[in-house]
Amino acid sequence: MTAHIRTVLAALAIGLCPVHPGLAQPPARIVSLVPAVTEMLFGIGAGELVVGVSSFDRHPPEVGALPRVGGLLDPDVERVMSLRPELVVVYATQQELRGQLTRAGIETFPYRHGSGLAAIAGTIRTLGALADRRDGAEALASRIEQRLAAVGARVGGRPRPRTLLVFDRQPSSLRGIYASGGVGFLHDMLETAGGLNVFADVDRESVQLNLETLISRAPDVIVELQITGDVGPEATSREAAAWSQLPTIPAVRDGRVYLLGGDAFVVPGPRIAEATERLARALHPEAFDDEP
Amino acid sequence: MLRAASVSFAYGSHRVLDEVDVAIAPGALVGILGPNGSGKTTLITVLGGIARPARGEVTLDGTTLSRLSRVEIARRMAIVPQDTHLTFDYSVLEVALMGRYPHLSSFELEGPRDIEIARHALAATGTSDLEQRSFLSLSGGERQRVVIASALAQLADAEVLTPPPDGRGPSRVLLLDEPTASLDPAYQLEVADILRELSTRGHLTIAVCTHDLNFAAGLCRELVMLRDGRVIAAGPTDEVLTPETIRRLYGIDADVQRLAATGRLSVVPLRRVSAGPGA
Amino acid sequence: MTGSLGRRVAVVWLTFGALLLLIGAAAPLIGSTAIDLRRVFVATVPFDENVDAQIFFVARLPRVVAAAIVGGALAAAGVVFQALLRNPLATPFTLGVSAGASLGAMLALTFGTPVVVPGLSDSAVASFVGALGAVAIVYGLATARQRGFSTTVLLLAGVTLNSFFSALILFVQYLADFSQTFRTVRWLMGDLDVGGYRPILSALPFTLGAFAIFAWLPRPLNLLALGPDSAATRGVDVLRTQRLAFFSASLATGAAVSLGGPIGFVGIIIPHLVRLIVGADHRLVLPAATLFGAAFLIACDVVARTLLAPLELPVGVVTAVLGGPFFLWLLIRQR
Repeated sequence: MTAHIRTVLAALAIGLCPVHPGLAQPPARIVSLVPAVTEMLFGIGAGELVVGVSSFDRHPPEVGALPRVGGLLDPDVERVMSLRPELVVVYATQQELRGQLTRAGIETFPYRHGSGLAAIAGTIRTLGALADRRDGAEALASRIEQRLAAVGARVGGRPRPRTLLVFDRQPSSLRGIYASGGVGFLHDMLETAGGLNVFADVDRESVQLNLETLISRAPDVIVELQITGDVGPEATSREAAAWSQLPTIPAVRDGRVYLLGGDAFVVPGPRIAEATERLARALHPEAFDDEP
Repeated sequence: MLRAASVSFAYGSHRVLDEVDVAIAPGALVGILGPNGSGKTTLITVLGGIARPARGEVTLDGTTLSRLSRVEIARRMAIVPQDTHLTFDYSVLEVALMGRYPHLSSFELEGPRDIEIARHALAATGTSDLEQRSFLSLSGGERQRVVIASALAQLADAEVLTPPPDGRGPSRVLLLDEPTASLDPAYQLEVADILRELSTRGHLTIAVCTHDLNFAAGLCRELVMLRDGRVIAAGPTDEVLTPETIRRLYGIDADVQRLAATGRLSVVPLRRVSAGPGA
Repeated sequence: MTGSLGRRVAVVWLTFGALLLLIGAAAPLIGSTAIDLRRVFVATVPFDENVDAQIFFVARLPRVVAAAIVGGALAAAGVVFQALLRNPLATPFTLGVSAGASLGAMLALTFGTPVVVPGLSDSAVASFVGALGAVAIVYGLATARQRGFSTTVLLLAGVTLNSFFSALILFVQYLADFSQTFRTVRWLMGDLDVGGYRPILSALPFTLGAFAIFAWLPRPLNLLALGPDSAATRGVDVLRTQRLAFFSASLATGAAVSLGGPIGFVGIIIPHLVRLIVGADHRLVLPAATLFGAAFLIACDVVARTLLAPLELPVGVVTAVLGGPFFLWLLIRQR
C-alpha cells in the first residue's frame, strides 16, 4: 500500500499541462503508466480500451488481469510496445520514454499533476475528449465536483481545527515524519475537508518535522495516511502509542489522532472526493451525524 | 650471553633460517654478514624475541625467551630497524621516550627520571640539540641516531647509562638491522663511532647485521656469515674475513688488506665468480 | 608543547571538558521556538502539560545528549582507526562498519523488520546488527590466512566490503518504492532527533564498553606509530593492541551510526584539528578528540535544527559543509 505514497510524492512534483495529442481518431488500445489516469479511464467508461497498466495499479479490480509494464522509474518499453497501443499515458517527466514511443509512432499523453483538486476534474474531461467518452467524463467529473462541494458545504462555517497531515513516518517511532506543507494536492484536500493546515505558511509540498516543531505547532488534530498499510485496531493503537511521547500536543491529549488507510488518499483520481469526505468525517464528525 | 640454538624459521614453505647456531658473548660487537635474502633480518627479529622460531630456541643469559614476558625481554634487548616510518608528528624527545615503555605500567606517565634517561640517550648519540624538533623533519642520519637513542633509553636501568664497573649483571643487547644502508659515508662513520663507544664504554652487547663488508670489518670484532639461512662461518673478524669466505658468501673475488690508517681489514670487491647460491 | 606530561593531560581535560560543558549547557537553550526557562523547571505544572518543559526535555535535551555521544564516539574512533591503520586519512567508515550499518538500516526501512523492539526504531536495531556483521566479516578476512593481524589486509578487506555493501545498498534502493527510497536517503544524511532517552540508553552500554578500552589504548598506539616491529621490540603486545583497537573503534562506530546515522567528517576533521592543537601523543589526542567531537556535533546539530526552521537540515549536511573545506585546507597545507 505504501507504494501509492510514491505516487503522491511523484505527483506532488509535477505541474499541470493539459495537452491534446494529435490523434486522428480515438485510440482503441491504451496503456497507462499512471494509476490515477487508469482509474479515470475506467471511470469514464473507457476501461475496455485499456490493455496495459503500471506495476502499481490496484484499482479498479479489473486491472488485476491486465499486463504490467513498469512504472515511473522502471518503464518497460518493450513490453509497452508489445501490447500495440495507440495511446500511452506517461508521466510528463518520463521524457526518454516519450521520445522512444514517439519515434515508434505511438501517441503519448503526458500526465502532470495539477496543483489543485480542480486539476483532477480537468484531466478527466480531457481524457473524455481524447477517448471519445465525453458523456462519461462529464458525468464523472461533475460527480466529483458535486461531492467535493457537498463536503465543503457540510463543513463550511464550522471552526477549522489546526491539523497536521502526516503522510510518512518510520513505523512505531516518531522519526522521519513527513507532513504536507502549504502547497499541493494534500494541502488542498485538507482545506476542502475543513481543516487548517498547521504548515500552511510553508511554501513547500512536504515538510520533514522535528519534535520541537511538532510540539510548538501543537496541532489540534493529527491525520496519518497509510503508515504501514495496516489500519486494524492493533496497528492503530501501536501507532497512536508512538504519539504519546508528546502529550502536550492537543491532538494527542484529546485523542484526536486518526489513521486513515487506503490508497484513495494518495491517488489523485476519481476516488479523491470519497477520500476528501473521509478526511472531513475525521475532522468534523458531527457534521456527518445525519449520515451513517 | 645471547644464544640461538638450532633455530629454524620459515615463511610458509620458504625456509628462511635453517638450524642456525649463534652465540653472542656479553660485551661482544658482532657483525652478521650476508647477501640480501640470507635471513639476516629474520635472525635479528628471532634473536630479539619479536619473532618465534619454528624450531630451536633462543636464550638470554640462560633463560629461554619464550619463558620471558614481552616487557622483560624489552628491558634487556632492543632492535633498531633499518628504517623507521613514523605515522604521526612526534617530537624527537617523544620518540626517545617511547623507549621507556617497558619500564612503565599501563597508566603511568613518564617521570623526570625517564626524561633524564632519554636526554642522556640523545646526548650519547649526539642528538641533544634536536630534542624539540619534529622527528619527521629530520634527515635520514639524524633519524637513525634518534632511534638508536630510543633503544638506549629502552635498555637503561635506573642507574641511567652508568654500567656496573665489572660489566656483570644481566646482558643488555642492542640489535641493529642494516643501520647504515640508507646513510651517506659521513653518517656511516658517525653511527660506527657511536656503536663503538657504546660497546666499550656503555657495556652493551651489540650485534649489527649488514651487507656492507667494510662497515663490518671496520666496526666488528667478530663476524657471523649467513647465507641462505645457514651459518657458513663465525669467529673473530681477522680469522673469518678472508677471500675464501667472501667468495662463498657473495660469489665474488675480493682483495682483503689491512689498512695502515685504521689498523683494520678493508675489502675491495674485484669481480663476480659464481652465478648464484650453492657455491 | 612544553611542561610535564601530567600537567598537559590535566590541561587538555579541563579546557576541552569546559568547552563541552559550555556548549552542552547552551544547546538546549537554543532552538526554533522561544521557551521560558523558568517555566521549564516549574514543579507545579505537571510535566505532561508543560510545553516549555516538553520542548526542553523531550525535543532538545535528548538531541544534545545524542549529539555528544555520537560526536565523541566518532571522533575517538577516528583517532583509533588512524593509529591502527597507520594512516592519517583513515576514518571510522573506512573499514566498512558504516556501510554494514547503512545496509541494515536500508533493509529495515524498505522491507521492515521481523522483530520490533519497543522504543527503538527499526533502523536503529537493524543498523547495529549490520555494523556487527560488517565487523565480523572484515575481521574474518583480515585474520583468515595468517597468524596475527595484517593491517594491510584489514584495509583491503574494509575497502572491498565498503564497495560491496554500497552496491547492495543501491540494489535495495532500486527495489524500493519512492517513499522508501526517500526515507533511506534521508537516513543516510544523519538525524539526531532521537525524541527520547531510550535510543540513547540502548547505545550507551556499547559506547561505554568501547571507551573503557579506549582508556587503555593511548600508550600502545603511540608506539604503534613507529611500526609494528618497532612497537613489539619495545614490549608492546602488538596483536592485542590491534585487536582491541579494531573492536573498540568498530563498536563505537556501530553504536554511533545506529543512533544518529552515518554522520560524516566528524571522524576525520576532529582528530586532525586536535593534533594540530595538542600534538601527537594519544594520551592527549584521544580525550581531546572525544570532548571536542562531542562539542562540535552538538553545535552542528543546533545549526541543523535552527537554520531553516521549521524545516530540518540533515546534520550530516552541516558537518559536510563545515568539514569539506577544512579538509581541503588540511590537504593543501601538507608539505
